[in-house]
Amino acid sequence: MSKRTALQIATYGIVCLAILLVPSFMDDAFILNKYARYLVLGILAMALSLSWGYAGILNLGQAASFGLGSYCMAMALKLRTVPVHTGKSGLPDFMVWNNVETLPWFWEPFYSLTFAIFAGVAVPVAFAMLLGSFIFRGRVTGVYVAIITLAALVVVNLLIIDQQRYSGGFNGITDLAQLELFGLTFDAYSSSSYYLIAISLTVSLFFALAVTKSKAGLILQAIRDHEERVRYFGYDVARFKTFAFAVSAGIAGFAGMLYTIVMEFASPTFLDVPLSLSVVIWCAVGGRQSLLGAALGAIIVTGMQGALSESEIFLESWTLIMGFAFVMIVLFLPKGLAGAVESLVDRILPKDRTAPGKSKAAADQCGAKNSAGGP
Amino acid sequence: METILAQILTGLSIASILLLVALGLAIIYGTTGVINLAHGEFVMIGAYTAWALQTYVGVGLIESLVVIFFTVALFGWIIEKTVIRHLYRRPLDTILATWGIGVMAQQAIRLAVGGELRYVQMPSAMSSSVSILGIEISAFRLFILALSAVIFGFTWYLMYRTSIGMKLRAISQDREIASCFGIQSKRIYGLTFAYGAGLAGLAGALVSPLKSVSPEMGTTYVVDAFMVVVLGGVESLIGTVASSVILGELTGFLAFYSNDTLAKVLVFLAIVVLIRFRPQGLFAAKVRS
Repeated sequence: MSKRTALQIATYGIVCLAILLVPSFMDDAFILNKYARYLVLGILAMALSLSWGYAGILNLGQAASFGLGSYCMAMALKLRTVPVHTGKSGLPDFMVWNNVETLPWFWEPFYSLTFAIFAGVAVPVAFAMLLGSFIFRGRVTGVYVAIITLAALVVVNLLIIDQQRYSGGFNGITDLAQLELFGLTFDAYSSSSYYLIAISLTVSLFFALAVTKSKAGLILQAIRDHEERVRYFGYDVARFKTFAFAVSAGIAGFAGMLYTIVMEFASPTFLDVPLSLSVVIWCAVGGRQSLLGAALGAIIVTGMQGALSESEIFLESWTLIMGFAFVMIVLFLPKGLAGAVESLVDRILPKDRTAPGKSKAAADQCGAKNSAGGP
Repeated sequence: METILAQILTGLSIASILLLVALGLAIIYGTTGVINLAHGEFVMIGAYTAWALQTYVGVGLIESLVVIFFTVALFGWIIEKTVIRHLYRRPLDTILATWGIGVMAQQAIRLAVGGELRYVQMPSAMSSSVSILGIEISAFRLFILALSAVIFGFTWYLMYRTSIGMKLRAISQDREIASCFGIQSKRIYGLTFAYGAGLAGLAGALVSPLKSVSPEMGTTYVVDAFMVVVLGGVESLIGTVASSVILGELTGFLAFYSNDTLAKVLVFLAIVVLIRFRPQGLFAAKVRS
């Protein structure tokens, strides 16, 4: 392990530890809930950084995975609400209002919480694998990927709003039960939910870090830097891209489930275009090529958004400030805040040449390895 | 028969507005490769300029069109010179930067004149309706149709019969070689952006009497206009017209005969499949790459 990797792991560990320690200084349930929300969005941004920053896939439809995960969790928790909020034989209230007589077949399995948690990850992954292989087998790249993913998001969003009888339409799914897992109850306004989310953030951060450090992760970075070259070496570029796309979707779906737990509802706004574009902003601000950077970017931006929109002076103008800051970062800090920190580290720690570098070095390395074996 | 004819006319009316928005977008994208997500905000600013001129200066809509064109064109030119100029080597980042600009423009308008809906009066001479083959159609819609045809003709002339158009086409084929021949690509890029923005501003001014004016009004137009550009293929003016008509008529008919949401879903799915198999668009000319 190189010095740099060790430093990276140490940084990740310290940040996660700091996040985990927050409840020991803070026991205001309302504030903890707010922080937990920011952390969930951090996971979401981190997932985008995996596909955008590491594989070069600008997925403007990231919120689709997030929303699907969120709805899976909401469906399970809706079926567990106390009968007051439901119709005959536990039929969810909005179905009663829409004159639905029996529970639709695809709601049935959600009586099982295990299935719901599985589906919250598996449904987005399956969706991403379908869409991903459709896009990448056709060698669609760059801007067109962005447009297709955006269009796919709009389709999913419109369908969910349109199927009001089964999805709650514009209102989403509300009045949910609290999650009970391993004998623990996760009240949205309690430290238990905060811990659940902080631990989830830690686990998914290190999982994603492991993916980027694996061989597949290196090949993905090489694809990002020079797709054609990697293809000429005989790698199945489409498969690697679909893999990155699906892993990112899985993490986003996982984040969506957590979001339902802290928000206590699921809504079509969890998969609308503005949220999806906001994720891109958080990622760009924090640094798309740094998992931790992207997560912190989301936490900082949403945190500032929350703080600024609460104060009188900035209530109106924070969007303007955010827009301006964002344009400036795109112009002058294309690698985001993490990129700025990294170039600082570069000055202190001279680059060691043996380590798999983060940028072009990856493509060159893969090249060197393969051309050595080739004719 | 008459309902069908009426439907066709409604579709054409939708298409003519789509064309005005998409034409500017197609020219900007075709020439500079910039995905301009702030294009909808150009439309919005055009509509607000029309509203401001009418409310504070008392100028009618038709008389103020020229002023609106140049105001929004200036706005587009400034954006190109301050932001876009730095991003030509990073096309994906233009999506982000122009989106940021769009957000800022919306919020700036909201702060300046408030977020409530505004209304622009239709020119009194055109508020009546005209009867064509037994179909009643509003004179103003006919005016939009005629004007967009004129503007399209002018754009075609500009692109294919003037030296500035030739330079522009040269740059869109190969910027570096064009520069070697002494074409000042920086200047042309600025002008292209200004012209595209101006067209969007005109579109905004023209729709302002038909729909209410709000800071968010641009968002719907930019998505639809993008679909037109994707369908028509860049660098093809005829393609832009054809796909405007196709999408305009399709939207008109689908909205009339079926569920609005489902129609939209179908159109979007069709676009996804289209990009996958024909990313160059339906009408793109064959070019050797």
